[in-house]
Amino acid sequence: MKLNPTILGFFKKELVQTLRDKRMRIMLFVMPVIQMTIFGVAISTETRNIKLAAVYQPNDYLMERITQRCYSSQWYVPAKNLTGNDPFKWIQSGQADAVLIAPEKGLTHDAGNAHSTGSTGSGQGGASLQLLIDSSNITKGQAIENYTQAILSQVLGETYHLKNQDPPVRFTVRYLYNPEMKTSVFMVPSVLCMILLMVTFILSSSSIAREKEAGTMETLLSSPATITEIMLGKSLPFVALGMADFPLVIAVAVFGFGVPMRGSVLLLLFCAFIFMCNTVALGVLFSTFVKNLQQSAMGGFLFIFPAIQLSGVLYPVENMPWLLKYCAYLDPIMYFVNLMRNIMLKGGDFQVVAFNAGALVVMGAFAITIAAKRFHQTLN
Amino acid sequence: MKDKVNLKRAYAVAYKEVRHIWRDPFTLALALGLPLLMVMFFGLAMDFNVHDIHLTAYDSDHSRASRQLLETFESSGYFKLRQAPLAADVTEPLQANQAKAVLVIPPNFGRYIISRQDSPVQVLIDGTDNSTAGVIGGYMSGMQTAANLRLADTSVNPLVTLKSRYLFNPELNSRWFTVPGLSAVVLAIISILLTSLTVAREWEHGSMELLLSTPVHPLEIILGKLAPYVGLGLFAQGLIYCLARFYFGIPFEGSHILFLVGTFLFISSYMALGLLVSVATRQQILAMQFAMMIGMLPNMLLSGFIFPIENMPVFFQYLTAIFPARWFMLVIRGVFLKGTDLFQLVTPLLAMLFMSVFFVTLAVRRFKRDVEP
Repeated sequence: MKLNPTILGFFKKELVQTLRDKRMRIMLFVMPVIQMTIFGVAISTETRNIKLAAVYQPNDYLMERITQRCYSSQWYVPAKNLTGNDPFKWIQSGQADAVLIAPEKGLTHDAGNAHSTGSTGSGQGGASLQLLIDSSNITKGQAIENYTQAILSQVLGETYHLKNQDPPVRFTVRYLYNPEMKTSVFMVPSVLCMILLMVTFILSSSSIAREKEAGTMETLLSSPATITEIMLGKSLPFVALGMADFPLVIAVAVFGFGVPMRGSVLLLLFCAFIFMCNTVALGVLFSTFVKNLQQSAMGGFLFIFPAIQLSGVLYPVENMPWLLKYCAYLDPIMYFVNLMRNIMLKGGDFQVVAFNAGALVVMGAFAITIAAKRFHQTLN
Repeated sequence: MKDKVNLKRAYAVAYKEVRHIWRDPFTLALALGLPLLMVMFFGLAMDFNVHDIHLTAYDSDHSRASRQLLETFESSGYFKLRQAPLAADVTEPLQANQAKAVLVIPPNFGRYIISRQDSPVQVLIDGTDNSTAGVIGGYMSGMQTAANLRLADTSVNPLVTLKSRYLFNPELNSRWFTVPGLSAVVLAIISILLTSLTVAREWEHGSMELLLSTPVHPLEIILGKLAPYVGLGLFAQGLIYCLARFYFGIPFEGSHILFLVGTFLFISSYMALGLLVSVATRQQILAMQFAMMIGMLPNMLLSGFIFPIENMPVFFQYLTAIFPARWFMLVIRGVFLKGTDLFQLVTPLLAMLFMSVFFVTLAVRRFKRDVEP
């Protein structure tokens, strides 16, 4: 098969135009790696460094033990530079995330009473310990309560030599595919999808928007090149750029972060190719609606921001209202995140790969058909 | 070069920019409508209290106890239970993305429970999904307690009860947590996108030379270009404020003046950053890529919006300080939920002020260097 010279010409022109600027080369090949590194290392869903303060009398040794145990665990740090003596203010100003407040007569006293009389539970002679939690971040707030409860039971058990009642029903919980719950294994494949989307979508949509703004689109359309040639010439180079980016980022993920590669690399590359075609097609479709680059930038945000939000990376898709759940089915990132996780971490399941890749193909084909239609309309 | 900055000339540049925005209703509508729409949509979408988790259960016991255990899971409201006949490979539902977790009840589970012997129930969680894995793991300890209570009647009455009080969001409402933060993220992106193209566009169109041949000072150009967009951003924030208060019913405990000042500094800093990008790149497409790169992901992931900054390694905690959104997050959550006062917010406000000034200065200096070869 002979290569179409028009498309080849386009191909060269777009690549040269994009890559001639050193800053753009950095943007395309270095930035994704840097970003992935930062997000892969920095972000953790495990709550740590909880600033804990405690209010109790100096002779309350049970409280002392509980607080010390908290600080010696990996989760808490002592709250520093507390001003005044109002626990509420400490939390309000962010000097503390949580404050333990002993009962009036001291926790040692109350718990000792409860232990000797054999009464348990609050309201029946049992002691109660107050914990104020900053819940302006709800996931963190819940984690603080769980951790503190666990430490409290542990200290009480040791102090009063409560016989270790093993409950009959016991769950052994295992996290498959990521047994150590490593953040990089979670984040890297998903962050990669977002970065690739941004690169391919923005490049392809702004390339056409620029021609429109500069008025060269008319020149192109009046040239003997056919619509198909123009469209392919405007999209293939960006697929190629994306495909050049992908192995680079994957290599950093696998060799730099130790993200496992349990499935076939070829399959992953193939899926990445489909994904890029899809996003570039969407970019081309999108560019038929805009007149200039400013509109293209704002509109790009209109697409990319929801696409990231609905991808299920930041919070689960299952919980969304039904309307948004359906919107998520239009999100290429969601499918590609599924593919990446399934192939890289789980080794690839035929049905999952077929479904998600199929969805991307259908979406891309649909987008490019409409884009072609709209191109014809502008011509007439 | 004139040495005095003339506000009149800055005003003229601003007026010209306003006409530009006005002439382009698409951009105007996006700048005002988009933040509102995004906050509304994703305010509704984000729910961190995970429910409807797909759980596949393999029950190889089929006793009264195992049925009760399954019922406990079902009635918790967190799980969508699907029973499956025991297969050779119990990880299959996870492999095929059909379930987020698998429960394996061993044979003779019921008999062990009655004789109070140890009978471990295996729970396998899909560890590839960061948004749910941890949450499901957290639910499991609660489910274990509930199951023990129901199957073996071991009501655990501890000596000391922990009485937790959740301050500032007592019902742990997801909306209260996300909507204020979301407005910060959306505004930041809009701000940086709006301004990142303005100067680059003038360069590409060749109208910058025209502008430079007039007596306008670079600082005047920068300020004139900033002012209208800052106004636009403040207006958008006003709309978001109404949405948060009246639609989502989020309380506002703090001072409105503080909120306004904070928003102003925040928007200015991102717009100045956008302008700096524009001055430095002089190319619209490059400016756009750049703006998206520094505007989109760092804003969402490193600002403390969802992932708390305290959880990060120390180096990255310091790194986040260069993003104004990280500081504004403290201000906006503070004034909405906590009622924080000026004294407690001095650091974030000063940080944002410093960044605004810094970016504007840098933009002006880059500009000068360009002009005077």
